[in-house]
Amino acid sequence: MNLALLIPEITLAVFAVLVILLDLGVRQKTVLRSVALAGLVIAGGVTAAMWGGSYPAQFSNMLAVDHFALFFKLLFAGIAFLVILASADYVDKFARFQGEYYALILLSTLGMMLMAATADLISLYIALELTSISLYVLVGFLKDRKSTEASLKYLLLGAIASAVLLYGMALIFGYTGQTQLGAIARAIQSMPPSAVMDSPALLMGIVMLIAGFGFKIAAVPFQMWVPDVYEGAPTPVTAYLSVGSKAAGFAIILRVFFSAFGMPDWLSANWGAIFAVLAVISMIVGNVAAIPQANIKRLLGYSSIAQAGYLMVGLATFGFAPASSVLGQSGILFFLASYALTNLGAFIAVIAISNKIGSDEIADFAGMFKRAPVLALALTFCLVSLIGMPPAAGFMAKFYIFSAAAQNGLLWLVVIAAINSVISAYYYLRVVKVMWSGEAASGEKVPSSGAPRLALFICCLGVLLLGVIPGLVMRLAEVAGRLFAF
Amino acid sequence: MGLAAAYWIMAVVAVLAALGVVFLRNVFRAALSLVLCFITVAGLYITLSADFLAAVQILVYVGAISVLIILAVMMTREVQQGSPANRLKIPAFIVAAVVLGIMIYTVTATSWQVASAAPLAPTTVPLAGKLFSESGFILPVEIAAMLILAAILGAIVIAREK
Amino acid sequence: MSVGLEHYLVLSAVLFCIGLYGALTKRNAVIILMCIELMLNAVNISLVAFSRYVVPTLLTGQVFAIFVMVVAAAEVAVGLAIILAIYRGLTDIDASNINLMKW
Repeated sequence: MNLALLIPEITLAVFAVLVILLDLGVRQKTVLRSVALAGLVIAGGVTAAMWGGSYPAQFSNMLAVDHFALFFKLLFAGIAFLVILASADYVDKFARFQGEYYALILLSTLGMMLMAATADLISLYIALELTSISLYVLVGFLKDRKSTEASLKYLLLGAIASAVLLYGMALIFGYTGQTQLGAIARAIQSMPPSAVMDSPALLMGIVMLIAGFGFKIAAVPFQMWVPDVYEGAPTPVTAYLSVGSKAAGFAIILRVFFSAFGMPDWLSANWGAIFAVLAVISMIVGNVAAIPQANIKRLLGYSSIAQAGYLMVGLATFGFAPASSVLGQSGILFFLASYALTNLGAFIAVIAISNKIGSDEIADFAGMFKRAPVLALALTFCLVSLIGMPPAAGFMAKFYIFSAAAQNGLLWLVVIAAINSVISAYYYLRVVKVMWSGEAASGEKVPSSGAPRLALFICCLGVLLLGVIPGLVMRLAEVAGRLFAF
Repeated sequence: MGLAAAYWIMAVVAVLAALGVVFLRNVFRAALSLVLCFITVAGLYITLSADFLAAVQILVYVGAISVLIILAVMMTREVQQGSPANRLKIPAFIVAAVVLGIMIYTVTATSWQVASAAPLAPTTVPLAGKLFSESGFILPVEIAAMLILAAILGAIVIAREK
Repeated sequence: MSVGLEHYLVLSAVLFCIGLYGALTKRNAVIILMCIELMLNAVNISLVAFSRYVVPTLLTGQVFAIFVMVVAAAEVAVGLAIILAIYRGLTDIDASNINLMKW
């Protein structure tokens, strides 16, 4: 065991404890924010420094230290960094619980990092629950009616979903006698194909895993928690949920399905078909349900369901053509990075605006271009990226995923996804229209403070760079995705 | 023979107790029914020669978790309100019945690779070796520590006054 | 009739589905938590049975079951804290009227 390879995780754990301890003695609560940010910078920096090397898996193959894991660790550290920056003004609402807020953000980030790296069903389950429990609490942090109700709903539905997931894991363990993903793959491949096909346990286990993970990524029909939880949660936490939790869910799906169920072909075609169906209904339900929404958080909630649908087009591509779709895998990673920046940017702008005007209703955003030109411009840019229009990152992300799908015989799926993108333009542009042409309720300017501005600037710059010169991140994603090209 | 008899008794009691949790109108009785179910599960663990787990089941579920739940029942007004069902009774029943049918088909139609080796007994020492050795499951143990820290923090934040 | 792996698995499936039905239909948050515990116990029976019959000398399933218990305890602690918070401070919301399946 080489503890040096675990420095990112250990750093986060130490800094989470440090934040709690400092909270006891420090009066100036902004110190806590700096400490939490420092922890994330160290964790991210060490992860970045490890890029390019080749490291053995740790803990008897339970924890992979590969480029796939490093890519996601970097992504999660970045997401948490931006979320903490964006909560700068918002944390005043948490009164004396600011230390716990930062500590729980760090702990859930730790859980997500472990989710991306773990290669064993047992540690995967524990890492997933570490993330989930931290998030259940974060959702309830406002301690008001809506927030507490959202927290309870999220916890109860999350617990049901994880029980289903667990049953799936139990079936797979019982069928193969293994919990390590590579060992599961070897066990499946060593069995005669006819025996595997005659045994429903494996397929049933996979279906239950998809149901459990589907809850994490908010795929229809496991999305019923999304609107209420997104609306009730503190807005920075909503932002965190919509990108962090979703990216972690996709990381875990990629790892589990690629390394344990990637072979033989008929097996991967089976789960590819399931993801194709889920992709279609997620896109349609998410986009259609988003149209009538009057609350911007609910709108972004439904839009995140639709975005999960686009991402699952990539999963379906991989299921149908595991060997040839490096573009499909790296496309998913690129999409996740671009979606993280875009959605965070949109949410940070919403936080900055709605924190000042005290409302999440889209109607209250009217005339925002006159009251807060920078914020309105940034929000517009991020919404354009969510539609998938150039020059924003969303365009390149969709381009990669859809072209990989089209090359591998899933043209029908791409057509449905394209139609959905057009539908989505309607409700995204409605928000833009309200902001740019609506009559402002008052001429008063909406000021914003430094930290959220910095976060917003990073997001918009990232979205622009990914859209204009996608090559760099795409190369990283290809290195990370190649791991699974067996 | 004794094992089979023990299984059938435990299984029947467990199912009845589980039905009690769902269908008893008085919340307090439902909680007690849950305790009974936990105890029978501990008994099932013994028939599966999982002696340590049976003890843990009694300590954690029958002891700690049941007390927590009963405390919550007493501290809230749940007892008077009873245990009403929502409007989803029929669809939920169909879902549960279909899942049950599929599950039973799955577990009976699959050819499990049952090994003939005798189970380890007692299990406490080998379990400790599994949990705390470097070649075993020390990683999830470490993550579990973080999980419990998060849960403690969370419970304090949520339950304290603002 | 001798008792084998399938017996335990069928029992586990029955308990799981009873718990699932309860979790989906109950309006009372404490009861829903109890039903979730029922589901987790059902999974644990499967795990321990697999451990006994499929890998009798490795104990992997029993180790898994121990972690499930840890998580269950943590989940109950947080869940009950939320329910208590609802009942103590915020009387205007009624935990027994939370409809989980509302879209």
